[in-house]
Amino acid sequence: MIEFDHVTRTYGPKTAVADLTLAIPRGELFAMLGPNGAGKTTTIKMLVGLLRPSRGNVRVSGYDLVRDPRNAHLHIGYVPDEPCLYDKLTGREFLWFIADMFGMPRHLAGERIAAEIEHFELGEFADDLAESYSLGMKQRLVFASSLLHDPDVLVLDEPMVGLDPRSVRIVKDLLKARTREGMTVFMSTHTLAMAEEMADRVGIMVRGQLRFLGTVDELRDQMALETTSLEQLYLELTSPRAAETGLGSP
Amino acid sequence: MTAPAQSCRLLPYEAESRVFLRLRGRVAWATVRSMLSGARLRLSLVVLLSAMFWGSLYGLFFEAFTFLDSLHAEVISLLFNAFFSSLMVMLVFSTGILLYGGMYCSPEAKLLLTLPIREEAVFSHKFQEAVWFSSWGFILLGSPMLVAYGVVRDSPWTYFALLLPFMVSFVVIPATLGGIFCMLMVAWLPRLRLHAMTVACIAVAGGLIWMVWSTLSVSRADTMSAAWFEQTFSRLSITEQKLFPSWWLSSGLIEAARRDDGAAAVWPAFTEALKFLALLIANGMLLQLLAGWLAARCYRLGYSQLSGEVPARRRRRISWIDQALVNAGTAAGRPLRLLVVKDLRLFRRDISQWSQFVIFFGLLGLYFLNVRSFNYNNTYASMIGFLNLAVVGLILSTFTTRFVFPMISLEGRRFWILGLLPVHRDHIVWSKFLFSFVGGLLPCCGLVLLSDVMLGLSSRTILIHEIACLMLCLGLSGIAVGLGARMPDLREPSPSKIASGFGGTLSLVISSLFIMVIVVVAALPTHLFLVSHAFGAAGGPQRGALAWAAGPGGTIVSMALVVAIGLLATFVPLFLGLRSFRELEP
Repeated sequence: MIEFDHVTRTYGPKTAVADLTLAIPRGELFAMLGPNGAGKTTTIKMLVGLLRPSRGNVRVSGYDLVRDPRNAHLHIGYVPDEPCLYDKLTGREFLWFIADMFGMPRHLAGERIAAEIEHFELGEFADDLAESYSLGMKQRLVFASSLLHDPDVLVLDEPMVGLDPRSVRIVKDLLKARTREGMTVFMSTHTLAMAEEMADRVGIMVRGQLRFLGTVDELRDQMALETTSLEQLYLELTSPRAAETGLGSP
Repeated sequence: MTAPAQSCRLLPYEAESRVFLRLRGRVAWATVRSMLSGARLRLSLVVLLSAMFWGSLYGLFFEAFTFLDSLHAEVISLLFNAFFSSLMVMLVFSTGILLYGGMYCSPEAKLLLTLPIREEAVFSHKFQEAVWFSSWGFILLGSPMLVAYGVVRDSPWTYFALLLPFMVSFVVIPATLGGIFCMLMVAWLPRLRLHAMTVACIAVAGGLIWMVWSTLSVSRADTMSAAWFEQTFSRLSITEQKLFPSWWLSSGLIEAARRDDGAAAVWPAFTEALKFLALLIANGMLLQLLAGWLAARCYRLGYSQLSGEVPARRRRRISWIDQALVNAGTAAGRPLRLLVVKDLRLFRRDISQWSQFVIFFGLLGLYFLNVRSFNYNNTYASMIGFLNLAVVGLILSTFTTRFVFPMISLEGRRFWILGLLPVHRDHIVWSKFLFSFVGGLLPCCGLVLLSDVMLGLSSRTILIHEIACLMLCLGLSGIAVGLGARMPDLREPSPSKIASGFGGTLSLVISSLFIMVIVVVAALPTHLFLVSHAFGAAGGPQRGALAWAAGPGGTIVSMALVVAIGLLATFVPLFLGLRSFRELEP
């Protein structure tokens, strides 16, 4: 479903992502972890077609994001870290706009919009202008819009920011259900507990390089530490000492 | 490759355009509805002031065309060409800059580029928005001019019917060129774009200043003479180029307005005008095709290039002015000075603030330097001096409304910092007032002095103007800061939106009224004095109250009133603002 093939992205002299090769199959929930500036957001921007790789290719459902971005986008749902809405549209109008842009038939769009409004509990404010929404309300609406066209791949950049505990629960249940149905999820997060709870595999990026790729159990085995928490493993792997000793290198 | 889910499909271009059209319609309708329900005062003021502006321009152009039509009929073509070609250059720049913001820096672009739509559809959507914002000024300024021209020439109805198609088809050409330059520059010269833009802007501004300067910088005796007209027209003839869209527009409009040779000549003139219109439309459409083709190839590339740029880290050292300000005065006043220095730093580092300040006051300075070019007698010179004072006040009021009024509201988001500091809340309000007052006083008093010296006014009049200017600076700062503290909008992060809200509009209206009152009160005795001298015993007030008002007694009373009104306008809003700000719960 998602393929990064020797992808490098540079910003001037700085290499944000270095030779990333990664394949995420259908139905997997993948969590990308890493400290600030590790290259997670750059990776996500390349995955949704906002950035072009300096070298290598990114493909979603077999479509190259540079050569055929429109077809690739038909398969992607994207929840950015900062939700973007039209202030002067209501939530329902925004959902219709997205459904129209994905070329959804009217009757199907109507059904899906109603279902997502109910699912994300948007009904109370769906007909208010988005300018009056809180961050959490905006985030829920963006989640709903990203799932309208039933994408094969859902890309989430810090998805839980601004969500209240009940909304977090809704999102977690939804991600579990959708991945069981075959949707692939690529998630960047700093919430280690969530990654530990939800992810089939995790990738840990440090300074543009994928320092670890595998399950949390594999990480424990590789690190050979007594601790069992992902938090402690993560801190060990991303510490300056780990870079010097090559700890965790794949 | 996986086939797309049955629930979605790629849209044809027309369908994408229809979705954008629906989006625009919904956004426009919601905007109008919210303006009608929540910003009636602002809407009414905008409509009223626009109508007044349009009417005044129409009257001005009507008189001008009547004069030119009777004396120099051939001059019209030259003037139209000069006007439209300058406009063309401005539209290229303004649309290019607006498109740069809309296509590459807006959150909307980020959303649209992750949807399965064509890049050219996104370009077209953002282009329409940019054209609207860049050309409304042309419509407001150009329409009264062209309507007045048609009325003066007694043009047939076809001229008026063709006005809008001509204006729209003309605007598309420079706007599309601006879009093309913008996309090319971002895609292939991402690192040079700022330098290229700066050089181009400086070149255009320099050219305009040179043209204005060389046109006006002639000796007093030559101004408005036949030689002056001839010299000016020969300079302007550079704009009459047959390959310029401005020439097609001017020629088309002049043909459409033609009725000189009687009714029989109207039809051939009309068809000739249609040819020019077709030329404009054809070129506009060709450029649109080219821009769409270019967008499909380089919009995403440019977006990616631009996102890949790392902003240079700029280390800022503490400047000596800041240091001197912080250390000057007593320890008790230090918190207040620290707050002023903080605002000064923000102002210096925000190019949008100081650049507008420099442009507007710079243009005023240029105009004041040239007021001597025209020969005025004493009465006119005095009147123009007071009008210049009013203009300086009005420009300052736009700055205090746009930049000073939102300052307290903008502190709302940082209130947790200021609120926890050992600083009295009053200090925050006073610091804004001091910043605005001192920042406005120096350029305003300097400009008024320059205007008065160039007009050759007496030292007595200069003193009156400077006192009035001082009161204007005090009052305008008091109104903006006081109302800003009385009616803050702590949730809105955008200063322009805060300024355009109810509080900002009210501040602008009160500021305008205040300026009018101050200028009229200050001008009255001087005006009466000059009128009495100009008309002598026959026309002027020689005895009674009016004679007293025109004398020293009247001047003293008027100055006392100016000072009283100025202090009232300063301290009443400040008092209200301070009281409200002390009780504010962010």
